Amino acid sequence: MKRVDVRLSIPAVAPLLDLIKSVAEELRTHLAVPIALAEADAELAAVWREDLLESQREDCDRLFSLFDQEFFSEGVISFDRENAEAILRACAALRLRFRRTHLASISDETLEAIEASTNIGNWDAAEQKAFACFMFLDELQKIILKYLDPMAPEEE
Amino acid sequence: MSETNDNPGAEPQEWRVVFLNDSVTRMSYAVMVLRKLFGFDEATAVQHMMEAHESGRSVLWLGVRENAEAYAFSLQQWHLCATIESDETS
Repeated sequence: MKRVDVRLSIPAVAPLLDLIKSVAEELRTHLAVPIALAEADAELAAVWREDLLESQREDCDRLFSLFDQEFFSEGVISFDRENAEAILRACAALRLRFRRTHLASISDETLEAIEASTNIGNWDAAEQKAFACFMFLDELQKIILKYLDPMAPEEE
Repeated sequence: MSETNDNPGAEPQEWRVVFLNDSVTRMSYAVMVLRKLFGFDEATAVQHMMEAHESGRSVLWLGVRENAEAYAFSLQQWHLCATIESDETS
């Protein structure tokens, strides 16, 4: 099975993990995307909500399983076909949650411009850290989509 | 979920699965999800994604309610904003 090993800077990534974990904790009880089923009955919406929350929890747990003892000693995380989809979803959910909470005061235009330039010098420390998490999760998605695109045929 | 049909002779209602734009989700991720869930080719998925990006929404699928619900649930699972609409809401 194709596997992608990514070497990360432990001093750069480790400080982000606590904040990402705290946001993941919020996703245990809050959906990243509110249910938009306007005409559904309450019972169906409740079933969906529980199933979606369970899915979010499993995906986030899968993401954090990457940051084990090996990561903290070697700085390496590994993606493969088994974990790629769950990690893609976890990153998507976490980025949406960061946007709604820690980065809520920033306009779409500003965020888009900053993503291009990464010039966040005038933000407060909390926003800078949240933005670093937001971009880190985006990088993980980019790597998976580039090297392990779930729609690409598996190489022998 | 059950629905009562007040007019058994009428054509069955069609439901639309509507993909809604969000400013956070990576475009390449959205395209991958649309291909995976709906079986679109790359060009069709990109077209839907661009339509949603530019006009705020794109109709992905049309058909019976049960299937529309299943598609909407799957989109939610991948954290893409989506809703379903019936003919009556157009």
